[in-house]
This record gives sequence, structure tokens and C-alpha cells, in this order.
Amino acid sequence: MDLNNFTTVEQMEAETARLRECAACSGAETWEDRKKAQTPSCKFGEDGVCCRICSMGPCRITPKAPRGICGADANAIAGRNYLRMIAGGTAAHSDHGREICHTLHSTKKDGHYQVKDEAKLLRLAKEWDIPTEGKDIYDIAHEVALAGMMEYGKPFGTQRFLNRATDERQKLWNDLGIAPRAIDREIATAMHMTHMGNTADAEALVMQGLRTGMADGWGGSMMGTEMTDILFGTPMPKDTEGDLGVLEKDMVNIIVHGHDPAMSEMIVVAAEDKDLLDYARSKGAKGINIAGLCCTANEVTMRHGVRMAGNFLQQENALLTGIVEMITVDVQCIFPSLGPLSECFHTKFITTSPIARIPGSTYVEFHPETAREQGRDLVRQAIDNFDKRDPAKICVPTRKQPARVGYSCEAILKELNGVTNSHVDERDTYKPLIDCIKAGVIRGAVAIVGCNNPKVRPDHSHIEIMKKLLANDIIVITTGCAAQAAAKAGLLRKEAKDLCGAGMKRVCELVGIPPILHMGSCVDISRMMLLATDIAKDWGIDIPQVPVVGCAPEWMSEKAVAIANYVVSTGIDTYLGIEPQVKGSVQMMELITEGTRKLTGAGYIINTNPDTLVQAMIDGIEAKRAALGI
Amino acid sequence: MRLFDRAFTGSDEMFALAEAAVTKTIDKLGADAPVAFGSTAYFLPCIYAYTGRKITKLSELKDVLEPVKGWLTRNYRLNDVFTSGIATVLAAEIIEACKYAENPTPYEEKYHGHMTDAEVRELGVPLVTQDIPGFVVIIDEAPTDAQAQVLIKGYQSRGIFVFLLKGAIDQAERCGIKMGFPVRIVPVGPGIEAVSHIISVVVRAAFIFGNVQPGDWEGFNKYSFERIFAFVNAFGPLENITVGCGAGAIAMGFPVITNDTVDVDVVPKSLIIQTNIDDLIETSLEARDIKIKVSNIDLPVACASAFEGEIIRKADMFCEADGSRKDCFELVRTKELHEVEDHKIELIGQDFDAMEVGCKINLAIIIDIAGKNMQSDFEPVFERKIHNYVNCLEGVMHTGQRDLIRIRVSKSSFEAGFRVKHFGELLYAKMKNDFSQVVDKCQVTLVTEPELVTKLRKEANEIYDKRDARLRSLTDESVECFYTCTLCQSFSPSHVCIVTPERLGLCGAVSWLDAKSTNELQPSGPCQVVTKTKVIDEAKGAYEDVNEAVSTYSHGALDKVTLYSIMEDPMTSCGCFECICGIEPMSNGVIIVNREYAGSTPLGMTFAELASMTGGGVQTPGFMGHGRHFIASKKFMKAEGGIARIVWMPKALKDSVAERLNISAKELYGIDNFTDRIADESISEDPDTLMAYLSEKGHPALEMEPMM
Repeated sequence: MDLNNFTTVEQMEAETARLRECAACSGAETWEDRKKAQTPSCKFGEDGVCCRICSMGPCRITPKAPRGICGADANAIAGRNYLRMIAGGTAAHSDHGREICHTLHSTKKDGHYQVKDEAKLLRLAKEWDIPTEGKDIYDIAHEVALAGMMEYGKPFGTQRFLNRATDERQKLWNDLGIAPRAIDREIATAMHMTHMGNTADAEALVMQGLRTGMADGWGGSMMGTEMTDILFGTPMPKDTEGDLGVLEKDMVNIIVHGHDPAMSEMIVVAAEDKDLLDYARSKGAKGINIAGLCCTANEVTMRHGVRMAGNFLQQENALLTGIVEMITVDVQCIFPSLGPLSECFHTKFITTSPIARIPGSTYVEFHPETAREQGRDLVRQAIDNFDKRDPAKICVPTRKQPARVGYSCEAILKELNGVTNSHVDERDTYKPLIDCIKAGVIRGAVAIVGCNNPKVRPDHSHIEIMKKLLANDIIVITTGCAAQAAAKAGLLRKEAKDLCGAGMKRVCELVGIPPILHMGSCVDISRMMLLATDIAKDWGIDIPQVPVVGCAPEWMSEKAVAIANYVVSTGIDTYLGIEPQVKGSVQMMELITEGTRKLTGAGYIINTNPDTLVQAMIDGIEAKRAALGI
Repeated sequence: MRLFDRAFTGSDEMFALAEAAVTKTIDKLGADAPVAFGSTAYFLPCIYAYTGRKITKLSELKDVLEPVKGWLTRNYRLNDVFTSGIATVLAAEIIEACKYAENPTPYEEKYHGHMTDAEVRELGVPLVTQDIPGFVVIIDEAPTDAQAQVLIKGYQSRGIFVFLLKGAIDQAERCGIKMGFPVRIVPVGPGIEAVSHIISVVVRAAFIFGNVQPGDWEGFNKYSFERIFAFVNAFGPLENITVGCGAGAIAMGFPVITNDTVDVDVVPKSLIIQTNIDDLIETSLEARDIKIKVSNIDLPVACASAFEGEIIRKADMFCEADGSRKDCFELVRTKELHEVEDHKIELIGQDFDAMEVGCKINLAIIIDIAGKNMQSDFEPVFERKIHNYVNCLEGVMHTGQRDLIRIRVSKSSFEAGFRVKHFGELLYAKMKNDFSQVVDKCQVTLVTEPELVTKLRKEANEIYDKRDARLRSLTDESVECFYTCTLCQSFSPSHVCIVTPERLGLCGAVSWLDAKSTNELQPSGPCQVVTKTKVIDEAKGAYEDVNEAVSTYSHGALDKVTLYSIMEDPMTSCGCFECICGIEPMSNGVIIVNREYAGSTPLGMTFAELASMTGGGVQTPGFMGHGRHFIASKKFMKAEGGIARIVWMPKALKDSVAERLNISAKELYGIDNFTDRIADESISEDPDTLMAYLSEKGHPALEMEPMM
């Protein structure tokens, strides 16, 4: 085993430092500069006890002023702020899901968008009792899309996808009153409850937080994943590469960034067009290189093997290379700083969604009817920009790592079939994985998800936690920026088995997988919910009993809070490496850690030290094993 | 007790026995007494392998107890189970060594005990040739003697080397099974500790054949995991000490298959429960990914390449399946592993016995293949092989492919006992043997029931269409690489075909997909990857990479090839081309003539005369051999203007390519019914009438730039 084949956080940091040094002369500023300027953070904000919901305030809670003007105490204020974060996160994920439903609704046989996974469409139609017999596949697609969109605003009933959960969970959600109704309604309810003069009871706010989160994970996010698979294909394992070294000095580099793959899919398709390739060559480029950032990268890498330039805190670094002709963005996690930053270079910054309008960008609103031409047009503009590079500002990164990505639930089942014995085993179940866990070969599983956050050393927590888990025979599944951190470190390569304990190593060898399974973007955490659910079903136990936990070591966005809430509601303990902003309320801290555990069987475990956090996870998994008598 | 605890407990038991044995033996013989198994250069081989220690006397044996104990760690991790498992084997070897210290031949008569280096070396060649495809260690008694007999004989008949331990030996003896190293059924010893003699063989194989160094713990486990195809059949009730040894086996990569269901945790591909003893062999072989070559094919007639060219005349024919007269087809399909029952040969419909002499029959040959490495792109490659295989049968003739096959069976073969199922037996054996890398399971269905064949043929046609569509969707630009084909170098040593999606091999038999599959099936075979990154001129099909490949694989005879030109460095021919195209100077065009056409051409030459101008791996600008399907390709002499240059073809050839050629012409030039403008032998056989016809039809070649 050659450990030098893996990239360390130190090496990543050295690369960043080198880029920043090059960039300094261009007058470019990045998050590190702004983080300094923003330090120290506002303590009231950090503790969640600053209320600016009405204009009587802002009110801030101190020992001398324990209540706001209206009388709201720290619990009410922190609880309301917390619920609003969940509402924001759920809105973001779910609106992304809705947009994808609209794209599905726009599909046509010869249209710009088509149905790639008919089987999955038919399965979903069947699940939703939409008749398919003798119908055109596109009629079915439109009906399914419409049915999906109705989940956002239906006046009665709860989310359709809840039926996929274990019977125990469904009953529990109904009993607790956290089975989500229409997605938009839960968001509106959360906003309404937190309006001035409404709920001040922290427990009620936390309960609505769970329900709003559920509307994300078992509503909008799951919608996003399902519809994206139908549209662009269910991911299957693919080889790709990760880190800034995927940018090519001699090629036209186009970065796709954001979350919704509808636009980036068109760019990827356009970049393969022969006439555009010829055009690029005529301009002296060797080709067109598409690279992804953030979850758009995760989406297109899983389906096309498009390479991943990096995660959230690397978005500015990509531009600092001076060789990016164009960065096109859709929605979420896009730094407004890309505007001024792109002006320091020749880079064209293109915004495409009315959801994310950013100064300093060129706005090209994407529409399904014109998407293909728009994609081609953007690629052409990027090519035209190739010869405008400033040689003085070029700083080419070289580090990259191979990665194997694209482990949807369907793909995981297929891999597991590979280790079944046709004489004794069933196929298409998680039994091989369960058997490994029961026997102790694998101790359990951890889903590592979430963002980067300058509050901790970027990527360090992700990578160190992953390595420690692997060494302890715990299989890791990952999405989002955590997945990209793993890719950059080289942990998504099959060779990463050498970092594992004997159990995980043997499993990787026999199944032919890397020890960390890349499951997609942040909406794809819904895949993880289904994975945990189906493991529980195949095992014959409820989800909180399964030795599986979730972890967001470097989370930062409101989406992450929404996710944490549906994960906890699903019965999966969630380990956080960043403190939620409710510390100013003892009651809130108790509610989100132990309070929910009494209700859903799961809660947060918070620790900002990654070493302690990972040990807590290992202990938590072993405790679940002990409870099962395994 | 859970699995890990059982293994730990078993390890402790074995270690305690080893400690006691060493103490007892030293008490009896003294610490300086020698200890050796004899006839081995590897000391006590397991201990030497895993610790690097050269044990020659009892005091050293005592000293080794300490490191062995050090491996009996007790964290609940598989690593601890593995180290404990290996430690268990080492402890077992310590016990055995004590026996040999007291008596150099502790196992007389019934048991074999230690195996010599000579015996280990004897295994080398049969392991490489796969005459011995694997090893089984059978521990304890099968539920009944009859089952034991079937099991042991079953392994023996498959070439699997059998080691017996404990009760399994008594049972084999009761069944009257002949045992001994030469018959590859070795009764190793009566106690579980004798398992160390088997592991001793494994580690010495790693020393001798793998050059693994003493003390290289990882190296030994890796070698055995990757190269020694051994597995264990342990009959219940399993004792903990057996589980401890099993942990060692699994650490080395050897799966354990047991019929015990009590306190056994299943681990995929490692610890498998199979209570159906009748299915134990197949379960075990699949667990260790062992594929058995079929050595004896059950056939009443001979099968050899000598019969490949044999013609069956009508008078000698018993019956005939003729796809042009009655529905017939042959098809290879990819299936999931669970959908295929290995070696299932099924006949649906009547057998030859119920047929009359000279009759025409319906026949469908459907081969289902499942395998972890199987790809649907391999299907046509395997399907083409049916022709070769069936033709090798004595008294059987096969021509054509897909649903245009013709198979004749001679009267003499029928009388020799040849029946429909024998096609299945033959094809099963050949598929399993020739494509063992990808074929894990194979079943053959033969259908003679007329209505069913008709129905199935429609389904087969859909599959053929899909395959063709896939091939058509590929273009030279859309793929990452091309392939060489040097299949013909046995008789045309300097010829290299460059196979691209739009230009199949000139013999017409090797498409780009076929070449890709051949490359994957035989990585060092005739089809090698040719990259296409160093473009010289994409329009002409000139690439530096292609030139490099041509130079390498023609052994320097050629230095460049322009893929889409017949004037500038055209691709060479081996001699087995389907068609030749040659320049026709007056019209500025080319004529194409196919091998089957016997008449003359407007050039005044026949196919044979034209063929003599090219072939043999020589570049002759203006002349080029090619496959029939290349004619409609948009890359056909693209550098000289493409298919618009075609002025003459024999009528039969023209008709066969018309549909696709017309489509290409429409797409390229917007010309409808282009083939109507192409002359044939019914129109002209000389340049003047040809020119007159072309002028009358307004053939586009007349307007084009001169080629020379």
C-alpha cells in the first residue's frame, strides 16, 4: 500500500495557498479574506438569541434582558430561528425538486429533454396508481410529473412517498403528527408559526421542524432524486476524477456549478457536438472540458462521468486558476463573490435561474423549450473566450484523484448481487450487506454528508472522520460536498480499501467497490433514507435499531438543518461537527439532542472536535449492535 | 455464541493444545531435540511463512508460542478474527510438529499427514493448466455415506483436488473410495490439527511459485486469496476449534461452506450455509468462482477441425434446417445468473427420431449465458462461433448466421446416434471452455416445434435489429478508440486491419463491436486498442496513432494508412476481402466487385484478376479490398468524395446494399434512389456503355474532381 497515493488536507491547503498567492496580484479576494473581516462572529447570532422577526427589535437575550420586547424568551427566539432555517432549507431542496418535475413535464419524444429511465418511470407510476397500460411513455411521464407537482400544494393528505417507509415509522409519524402534508404547506406553516405573536413553545417549534424536514426528505428531495433519475438516468458506477487538476490548460474549461442538473446536462451534451469541438479546435484549444462544482458536479459525474473540480469552498479557487473560460451556475451555494472575482479574470460568469440572480453575472434564463440551443450558445461563448486568457494570471493546479462514483440504491443492489450465491441466496436485497453487519465483518454504516464551513478546517473533518471509520470496518456512504472531499482525497478509489480494517477491505475486494460509496448530490440524501429503510425491511427491524448513523461534520446551509431533521425523524442519529445556532437556549439544546430521541428514536450528537465526534459514532454503532445482540 | 466469539474460543482451544503438546514433548525428548516434517526445505512451513522463523528444535518451537499468542487479539474486528485464525493454523502446526518430533512417521497406513516438497511441486503444472481447477478440504462426516460418496466422487470427476480430515476419512473408507496423493484424494489426518498440513501445501506453493518471502504475512494471504482456488466443506455440528481454523481459511481467501445452521453467521462468499448436500459442489464452486472446463463432451460423433469443410450432399442428408425455407435461427442471449441453470440442455419439440429422412425442419438454437463479466456486446461474437463449433461435428454442416442459417445432418451421423440435444452438449462445452473468463453459466434451448420457432424468430429479429441499431449509432467520431485486427497474420503476415465503427474489417466478419469484445476477451489477442488522439486529418482519416499502430503490427512493413482514402496510403488487404473497389478512369469513379461475382467488369478484369492486384498486405493506390457493409458507410473513400464515386457494381451486390446505400446518399448529397444511377453487368461490361449510362442518369461522379 502506498499512502502517498492519497491526497492529504495539507496538500490541498498548499494548493489553495499557491492559488491565492498567484491571485493576490490580480486583486482577487476569497472567502479566507472575508472570514477574517467577519471575525469574531456575532455571539447573539451564533447562539440564536437575536430576534429580528418584527420591527420592534432587534431584541437580543442577555442575562439582564431575558425576554424580548414581546416577551419571547431565549427558547422561543432560538426555536423560531431554528425552524425558519429548516423552512428555508426545505424550500430550497423542494423547489429544486419541483423544477425537475416541470422539466419532466416538458419532455417530448424528440424534445430537448427526454425520459432516459423508462423502467423507473413505470415503477413510480405504478407506486402512485397511475395507469400505464397501452399509454405513450411521454403521457405517463407528464401524468407522473403532474402528480409530483400536486404533492406541493394538495389540500388534504400527507406525502405519497411516506408509504415507502417501514410500517413502524409510518405509524410513529402519524402518532407524533409529523407526517408532512403538502410540501408548500409545511413551509408556510413554519413561517406562519414563527411570525411575530405566534408559537413561543420551543417543543412545538421543534415538532414542526421535524415535520417540515420530513416534507423535504420524504417529499421535495425524494421528488428531485426520482424525477432526475427518470429524466437523466439512474446512476450506475462510473470512473471519473476529482480536484482542481481536472481543469485542462489546453482546453476550453467550462464549470457547471449549483444543484439542478437540467441546465448542466445541456451543456454536457453540447460540449460533445462535433461542430463545437471543431470550433474549439479552430480557436486553438484541444477540446472542451466540462468540470463540475458542488452538487451539480455530483449530478453530472454520476450520469456522465464529468469530472469534479471541487466542493463548496473551492468554488473561488477554480476561478483563481485563470483558465476557466466560463462558470455557469443554476441554484444554491453560489458565492455572490463570483461576480467581482470573475471580473479579475477573463472568466464569464453566467447565471441561469431566476432563483439565483447575482450582480456581475450575465443572466441567461434557461427554458426547457430552448435549452439545447442555449446550452450550445453558452459553449460557443466559452470557446470565444478561450483566447482571452491572461497568461500572467494563469496558475494551473495539477493535483487530481481518480474516483468511482454513482452508487444509487439500484447500483448498490446490483453490486451486492455479485456476492450472492445463486444456489442459496436471494437477489436484489440488502441481505449480503446485512449478513456482513450481523457477523461483525462490517460494524455498521455511516452516511457522511453536508457542506464545508470555514468554522472548521475545510475538508479536514470529512476526511479524518472517513478514514477512522474505514479503519474500524464501518462502511461510508456519502453525498454532496462531503463526497467531493472524499474524491479529492482519493478515498473514492477502489485502492482506498488499503485504508480499511480487514473486514471492509475484504468486502471491497469481493464486491469490487471502493469503501466509500458516492450516492450523489444533497437531494440524494433521500436515496440514503430509502437505503436505510430497505435495509431495515430486509432485516426485519425498525430503522433506529440498524447500526447506521448520519454525520454532517462541516455543515453550513439551511438545507443541512432541514436534512438533519428528516434524518432524525427517520430514526437515524445525526452527528454534527458544527453547532446549530440554538446554544442560547438550554431547552432547545435539550430538545434537539435528547428530546427528539424520546420521540423518533434519534437525535443530534454535537461535537466540534472531529476525533471525538468519530469516536462517538463508533461507540454509537457498537451500542446499537449490542442492543441487537450482535 | 456469535461467530467472532466462536472463532476466538476455537483459537484459544487450539493454542492451549499446542502449549500442552510442546510442554509434554519437551518433557519427553528435551528442549534440544530436533523437530522437522522431513522432505521439505521450508522448515515448519506455516510457521516459516507467517513468522519467518526457521524452527529446527523443540526449544525454538516453544519460543514461537509467544508471537503466536500475540496474534490472539480480541477486539471485535475482522482483523482480530483473521490473525487469530492464522494463529490457530500455526498452533495446529505446532501440535503436528510435536507428533513428528516423537516419531518421524506418525501417520502410517491410513493417513497421509505431511506432504513433501516434491508433492507440492507436482501440483504446479496441473494448477497452471487448470487440470486441477481447485482444492476442497472436507471436514467431518456428511449426513449419509451415500452423500459423501457422491460428493467426493463429484469433486474428483471435476478435477478438484480433495483433502479429507477427521470423520470424512472414515466415511470415505466405508464407501470404498480409493485414496492417496496420486488419485488426488488425500486422507490428511484424524484430528483437526492436521489441517496445518494442507495450509503447509498452500504456503509452500506461495514460496515456490509465487516467490513470497518468509514473514510476509500480507503476501501469503494475498497469494492464496488471488491464486489458490481452495475452499472448505465443513459438516456440522461445527466445533469451535473448527470455526477457529475456518477463520484462518477465510483469512487466506478460502470460503467455508457448511450444512450447519446453528450459531453460524452467514458471510457472503466467505461462510455459506448449504443444507442441500446434493447442491454442495455447485454452491462451493460458485463461492470460490471456480469454473470447470468440460473435457468430455457427450457426443456420438467425432468433433474436430478436420470436419470443418465437410460438405453434406442432399443424398447423404438425414434432415436440414434451412432458414431461407423454414423458420430457423440461432441466438445468444445474456441473462442474469439466477435465470440460468448451468448445463441445462432442453429440447422443445420433436427429436430427429420422429422425423423422416430428407425432411426440412424448423430449428432454433438459443444459448443463454450468465456471468459476472458477461456483456451483451459479446453476444454476437459468441453467436458467430456457433458456425465454427457446429461445423466441426462429423457429418454436420453449418452455414450462415442469425436467421439465415443452414444446418444439415447426415444420415450416418443420425445412425451413429446424433440427436438434437447434442447441439446443446457441444455448444455448452465450447462456450464454457473457450470463454471461461466471462461464461459462468450456460444453458442451451433447442426448439423444433414449428409454431414456437416462428414466434421466437420474431423475438430474435427484434434482438438482431437492436444490435444493428447499436452498431449504426456508433460513428468513428463518437468512439474513443479504434482496434487493430491481425487475425489474418497467420497467412498474411504484414497485413493489419484498422477496424472502426464505420469501417468493419475487410473480411466483413469483424465489426468494431466484435473487435472491442475480442479485445476484452483476449487482451493480448489480435484486436488491440488504437487511440485516435493525434489527429493529422480527421476528414481523410489520418492519425499519428493509427500510423504507429500500423507500423508496429505490420512489423515495419507499412508506416501509414489513411482510413478513408483509396488513393493515399489506402488500407491493405490480407486477401480474404468480401469486395474490391478499383478506380474507373473514364468516369472518374470506382467500380466495386464482390467475391461471388464471376463475370467481367468494365475494367476488363474479373474479381480474381483484380484481387491479384491488391492483397498480401501491400498498398496499391486506386485499389482496395473491403467488407460489404463498408459500401454504404459515410466513410467509404470519403477523402475522394465518398460513395458518389461508385459507378458500377454487380447487380446482386447492388441489390443487397441498395437500401442502406440509398439512405447514405440521401443524407450525404440529397440524392434519391442513388443506386438507380449505378450501372451493373446487365447495363454494361465496358467503359463506353458505362459512360453512356452514367451520362444519361446524371451520375454525380462525372461532375467530380479527377481522382488522379
